[in-house]
Amino acid sequence: MTQSGPISSCARAATAEEAAFRIDYPLAAARNTRVVALDVEAEEIVRRASEMRWAQARFYSAADPGHSLLTMSGRTVPLAGELEDSNTLVLVSTSGENAEAAATIGAACKARGIMTAGLAVTSGRLTGEALFALRPHTRILLVPAEDDDLFELLRATRA
Amino acid sequence: MLRTEINELLTQTGPGTPMGDLFRRYWQPVLLAEELSANDGPPVRVKVLSERLIAFRDSEGRYGLMDEFCAHRGVSLWFGRNEEGGLRCPYHGWKYDYTGQAIEVPSEPETSNFCANVKLKSYPLVRRGDVLWAYLGDPARQPPLPEWEFVTVPEGQAYTSKRLQECNWLQALEGGIDSSHVSFLHSGSLDSDPLFKGSRGNAYNKGDLKPFFEVVDYEGGLLIGARRNAEEGHYYWRVTPWVLPNFTMVPPRGDHPVHGHFWVPIDDENCWAWSFDYHPTRRLTETEVAAMRAGMGVHSANDENYRPLANRDNDYLMDREAQRRGETYSGIKGIALQDSSLQESMGPIVDRTKERLVATDAGIIKARQKLRKAALALAEGVEPVGNRPQDQKVRSVAIVLPADQSFVEGIGEAMIAKPGVPQTTV
Ligand code: FES
Ligand SMILES: [Fe+2]
Repeated sequence: MTQSGPISSCARAATAEEAAFRIDYPLAAARNTRVVALDVEAEEIVRRASEMRWAQARFYSAADPGHSLLTMSGRTVPLAGELEDSNTLVLVSTSGENAEAAATIGAACKARGIMTAGLAVTSGRLTGEALFALRPHTRILLVPAEDDDLFELLRATRA
Repeated sequence: MLRTEINELLTQTGPGTPMGDLFRRYWQPVLLAEELSANDGPPVRVKVLSERLIAFRDSEGRYGLMDEFCAHRGVSLWFGRNEEGGLRCPYHGWKYDYTGQAIEVPSEPETSNFCANVKLKSYPLVRRGDVLWAYLGDPARQPPLPEWEFVTVPEGQAYTSKRLQECNWLQALEGGIDSSHVSFLHSGSLDSDPLFKGSRGNAYNKGDLKPFFEVVDYEGGLLIGARRNAEEGHYYWRVTPWVLPNFTMVPPRGDHPVHGHFWVPIDDENCWAWSFDYHPTRRLTETEVAAMRAGMGVHSANDENYRPLANRDNDYLMDREAQRRGETYSGIKGIALQDSSLQESMGPIVDRTKERLVATDAGIIKARQKLRKAALALAEGVEPVGNRPQDQKVRSVAIVLPADQSFVEGIGEAMIAKPGVPQTTV
């Protein structure tokens, strides 16, 4: 480096040359994410995302009011068990149906300190039932989310 | 996390790059009007989107912005003589008018038509408010002039500053969208800064440190709503608009002037952080302007080259005692430098393959996605948004709404800038 005068720590540390020395090591998947669809259309979106490769993310549907929680292969599973070890949960809704399921899941997450996010996939509409079903139970909500937002969110958070 | 290719796509804005092409569809602020304050005054070097240009104001007050280097042998026209309707290169006397057209080549015979074939590449440079705006794109696609409210309010109602930020534009912009940092990094400023203190909203802010967020995808970009508990059955909303590609506004506090930013790439490792303050319906008071000039609020105290006095060469005047006492969260004084010190510390272009984003970063994730899609769509011939007057007549909003209302419906017209109508604020 050809800098004159005293080189203070920030001046040096913030250069491109020094940035190259940021140490490199594999990052473990930080998020142990669960994704739950709340209606039939949302289930399609979740299913498509579930077909990609993820580190630890797992995918469910609560679209059928009769069952509590189904895996993508249709197996009923207990919510509490699936939330074990999780730290992020994403709810996906297109219609606002099954708001009770959202409430149950939201409460379970709150009790366990699990971060919740919501996608209101209501193409072109800035408001609607999906927004109100998700709002009370999600720390951050995308409105209106597009189909690929789920994929983007999962990938960006290394799910 | 972003893949390397996408990080490069979003951070590179030089000529011929996809993001560079996108930026070249917008009028961008490039100079403060004060930098070219007089006819025939000194020319000013401008570097924007990795292009080196020279700006000057001719004898008739017309603004020129063109290739910095003389067509003859490449001398910088910064040394030029600005006189009698043009900028003359001091080496062999070639002279250019404000459009970059050569108008005199003294070595040629007086009757020669050589001049007519010599033109420096130039761009339109226009004044709106206290800012000179440039458009570096295809002339056939030139959008209408900027309509941002801070440049259209009557004289005396706005104050604009710029400061050098020594990192890529995107990490600076992301700071403006990243609402969750405010409760930490800037926590010391709500009570102490004269341009923020004393609003009812501040009490809601401090009463609820863990806001909920709603990120609304709308025509011009995103509306990021941060929601906190207010009185029974009500929420206090702070709504930040982001307009593509690089404009944000901070939600207002009480009757204080409203502020916002542009982050304009100089090259891929530096940007200008533009900061403005304005009031839609009244003149700024002398006290307010004095505070802004002193670098308070979103502004900073700078040297004559618009580099902050607190910068990386002096460790941003880090004050560990103030940090310990809790006066400042990071030890750095002032909102602007609190942001830029941290953003510069990430390195000139942060390596986004190493990030660990969390769900509350969804606003940033969505903004990147919209930028990427807009750049790729433009390459396919789809024109972007954000450069139309209707996208620019936008306001940030602070408001208390019933809990069962969508904030977009609740704020309604409040986010549209209307002359003479006060901002919606708490
Ligand atoms: S806590 Fe956000 S960058 Fe470190
Ligand atoms: Fe900030």
